[in-house]
Amino acid sequence: MDVMPLVLSLLYQFGTGAAFLFLAALGLVVILGMMNIINLAHGELMMIGAYTATLTYHAGVPFWLSVILSFFVAAAFGAVLELLIVRRFYGRQLGALVVTWGVSLVLGQGTLLFFGPFLPSIGIPGGSFSYGDFSFSAYWLILVLISLLLILGLWWLYNRTPYGLQAKATMQNADMARSLGVRTPLIYTLTFSLGAGLAGLSGALLAPTVTIAPFMGQQFVAPAFITVVVGGSANVIAGAVASSAILAAVKTPIGMAFGAFSGTVALLLAALIIIRIMPNGISASLQKYFNRRAGGAMR
Amino acid sequence: MTKRKDITPSPEAETKTQGSAAEAEVATSTGIPRRAFMTGTAATVTAAAVLPNLRMARAAETGPVKIGHIEDLSGNLAVYGVQKYHAALLAVKEINEGKTLKGGPVGSGGLGSMAKFAAAPPVMGNGDKDLKYVSDGGAMTGAGMAFVEDEDVLVDSGDSGLLGREVELIAPDGQSNNNIWQQLTRRLILEDKVDCLVAGFTSAEREAIRPIVDQHKQLYIYTNQYEGGVADSNTFCTGAIVEQQVIPVVDYMIQKFGPRVYTIAADYNFGQLTAAWTKAFAPLVGGEIIEEEFVPLSVSDFTTSIARIQAAKPDWVFTLLVGSNQSNYYPQAAAAGLEYPMASTVNMAQGYEHRRFAPPSLNRMYNCVNYIEEIPTVRNRAFVKRWYEMFPDDPYIGQMAQNTYFSIHLYALAARLAGTTDQETVKKALESGLTIEAPEGAVFLEPSTHHCSHYIRLATADANHNVSFVREWPSIQPWWLQRVGVNLVKHKEYKQYIPDEDPFFTMFAK
Repeated sequence: MDVMPLVLSLLYQFGTGAAFLFLAALGLVVILGMMNIINLAHGELMMIGAYTATLTYHAGVPFWLSVILSFFVAAAFGAVLELLIVRRFYGRQLGALVVTWGVSLVLGQGTLLFFGPFLPSIGIPGGSFSYGDFSFSAYWLILVLISLLLILGLWWLYNRTPYGLQAKATMQNADMARSLGVRTPLIYTLTFSLGAGLAGLSGALLAPTVTIAPFMGQQFVAPAFITVVVGGSANVIAGAVASSAILAAVKTPIGMAFGAFSGTVALLLAALIIIRIMPNGISASLQKYFNRRAGGAMR
Repeated sequence: MTKRKDITPSPEAETKTQGSAAEAEVATSTGIPRRAFMTGTAATVTAAAVLPNLRMARAAETGPVKIGHIEDLSGNLAVYGVQKYHAALLAVKEINEGKTLKGGPVGSGGLGSMAKFAAAPPVMGNGDKDLKYVSDGGAMTGAGMAFVEDEDVLVDSGDSGLLGREVELIAPDGQSNNNIWQQLTRRLILEDKVDCLVAGFTSAEREAIRPIVDQHKQLYIYTNQYEGGVADSNTFCTGAIVEQQVIPVVDYMIQKFGPRVYTIAADYNFGQLTAAWTKAFAPLVGGEIIEEEFVPLSVSDFTTSIARIQAAKPDWVFTLLVGSNQSNYYPQAAAAGLEYPMASTVNMAQGYEHRRFAPPSLNRMYNCVNYIEEIPTVRNRAFVKRWYEMFPDDPYIGQMAQNTYFSIHLYALAARLAGTTDQETVKKALESGLTIEAPEGAVFLEPSTHHCSHYIRLATADANHNVSFVREWPSIQPWWLQRVGVNLVKHKEYKQYIPDEDPFFTMFAK
């Protein structure tokens, strides 16, 4: 076998693996990483996005438009959820855990009763191309690109807009932010709604590659939590990017050499080791490292 | 009490209320404080100790015949569970309406098969020689088709309900969770005292509840296709097994596409054992397993597996993937341009992937099935029509749903033969060589191993996901347990055999 195609295939697998983890974690990055709410309904928010995309796609809406639509549907749902339920559980992490779990059960079972066990899938857009022994899906490459764009977009939102500043202030010290004139309840609603919308968006983006079923969200929950927790909350976006890249970099070569089972085991082991040596996640350690370097330079 | 069973849509609501009322009556007449049992699993478990005494009270055969039915109505496996549940509802409704599937201890079909027959008695021997043989004397021998598959298999049972009693289906939700399966099994056996338990999708679920079934000698029917090998005096396995599905399809694939096989299988007992069977059988038909990969049920991104298959360059891929997460493999492989022919024992006929995924994800998928909705026979068309009249919104009728359907009719047939619902007697009646005319064709319950012979069809999907049939085997026997010497009629057993226990296979391994 030639080496070049293998290297390219490994790179492609790494890219798709990292994009999968990042997209799975996208909404949770905001809701768990920033707001510190253990949102067990994360998978169901992704399911809402995927269902919206699938239903509108089969009703004749172009795929990309239906993806954008699912962002807004999930965001609207998130806003309602925040106003009615989640609002009452700020600062009560375990209470939020239980209540979002309850919400996830209601959503999953409700979807089963309402829409039945399956929806017809969306055919994966874009074709494939091959190089050497391997062939690649164009859509997955598009997903990698979109992930990069989303990273940039999130960074811009949180570092270059008034909303981002107010949101960061609110999450760090809500009382102080309120005394400085920030309307914190609105910021909470907006942030939760943004997280829900992003979950819906990634659900819709991943929809063509997965089975559209009421409990489809559950497959994303474990990877999402692992990615966010390994990334840490010191800088959620950089953390999520770093952790999805590192986890995919561990999983890909081992999975390729020894099979999917070993790849999954390797990913979990890597997460375990990272959390053991960096208990606050990668981003906290990164920040500490850069702070120390900056401090050293000043001296 | 009714509420706890109320997971069901309306059609059988009427049956249920009647059933519950009758059930309450039984409870009072036997003087058992049923409330005490209702307080939860903990109570149920303690009740187990008291139970042997209560079992005596059950002998009075009044009130409804209770069929316990557990399937996953929610969770990762709901796609299969809901179908099976609907199948049970349909069968129970038909039994209560005085209908039955044809069948009995007489073999399949009506009269025999393609046969020669003599118009007049042939002459034995002819004067010249001392030999006795059949001469061609007498009138000319005729030949003709003496067997036609019955078209109309649902006939009057001549019974109202089952043995004059209404049949009640008690069908809680297993929620795709093995612990809940165990709790529900205890509840159905100890509290509801079901006359027959019909349950089980995955082999993990079956193995989780089988010890409980054996502890209480509960008559249990497992209706799924599976890896084979269960030899259990209380369990009747009515689904197709490896001899009936793996060998024919592997043989066909090797002839048609070549001997190099890549197996990708779900990582639990079904996938592991079916892969082991495939590995054991492949050399018998000239094949070779070049690589086996086991995928955890939680995996839903198959990029790496797809690259591994491309690196291995097999002639075809054997996919034994289970659950909604793992069916993602098909669209992902198609999108990545993976175009190997595929074979399976579980896909298409079970999770209707050819209807759910956009073509051509399932192009060149081959599967030996005992049932698939598309079977073009008259009796199956009638069955499909009856089904959609009762459940117009259902997306598909799968292989396991059909198995559940005929299995409940088979139970009724055996109970009528036994003249009682006493479980030990019904088990004996099931061991009397019964044949039932199922929608797939004639199914024979082999007494010594408690497994069924099936009408097997090799179904395949084309680039547009149209299903066609490339080969048919009207009856394939479940022979392997007989080979290893299982005879449940003579010796009681409660175990599952695996291919490693039979040196037969290692003889042929290369």
